[in-house]
Amino acid sequence: MMNSLDIGASGLAAQRIRMDTLSNNLLNMSTTRNARGEPEPYRRRFVIFAPGQEGHPEKPGVHVAKIGLDQTPFRQRFEPGHEDADAQGYVRYPNVDMSVEFVNMLEASRAYEANITMMETSKQMLSSTLRLLA
Amino acid sequence: MFIDRMVNQGNIPLVERMMKLTAKRHELLAENIANLSTPGYQQKDLDVGAFQQMLRDRAARRRAGSPGTTSFDDLDPASLSVDGSGRGMLFHDRANRSVEALMGDMSGNAMKYNLFVELLRKQYGSFDNVLRERVS
Repeated sequence: MMNSLDIGASGLAAQRIRMDTLSNNLLNMSTTRNARGEPEPYRRRFVIFAPGQEGHPEKPGVHVAKIGLDQTPFRQRFEPGHEDADAQGYVRYPNVDMSVEFVNMLEASRAYEANITMMETSKQMLSSTLRLLA
Repeated sequence: MFIDRMVNQGNIPLVERMMKLTAKRHELLAENIANLSTPGYQQKDLDVGAFQQMLRDRAARRRAGSPGTTSFDDLDPASLSVDGSGRGMLFHDRANRSVEALMGDMSGNAMKYNLFVELLRKQYGSFDNVLRERVS
């Protein structure tokens, strides 16, 4: 029973990281420069989940195996006056699609809630087991 | 042993085994819920019906045999094959996840677990009364 709390915690942590990645994508959906100030648009990040706990793949649970970079082409917008526009007047914008991120956020928060509910149930089962002694 | 005989008669061992099964099943359901977003993950579950059949067979053997010789301790729910096949192939990675079904299974399983705990508590309570030599 204690195990299921660990499993739930691993699920919460994984969904939390996923949510962080998604909000990072949303925040940077119009970023046209990299950290050094060069005109290179932000690339969309995504998480890859794998079964097993962080560092202990044989233990039941879930963990983030990798945070990947989305290799789809950047969006191009015609803005000749923009500082980061190329010779043809096109500005490259990040390959982030707001609706996709929102759908993923919804799924992540539902999955998070499901894990919370599961842990509540585990707690309640555990306390009813303890009542056996009293 | 007197105590051993007492806890090994009636439905106490059956209830205890079912408690073990539901606890194990809860763990598997927890794993399924944690892996809701894992691509290619195959859901796990226990065959409750098969375990109940094992218990039924063992109980029938206990009725036939002499008292105190049949034990339920070797019936381990963890030995039951973990069923990976789900209910359909809706997703392209064949991970048949459904939050609704999982949450439903989980609360049903938790309710069963609590029922078994309550039954066991009642049984232990009656031991208490016996030891105190009075009626409830």
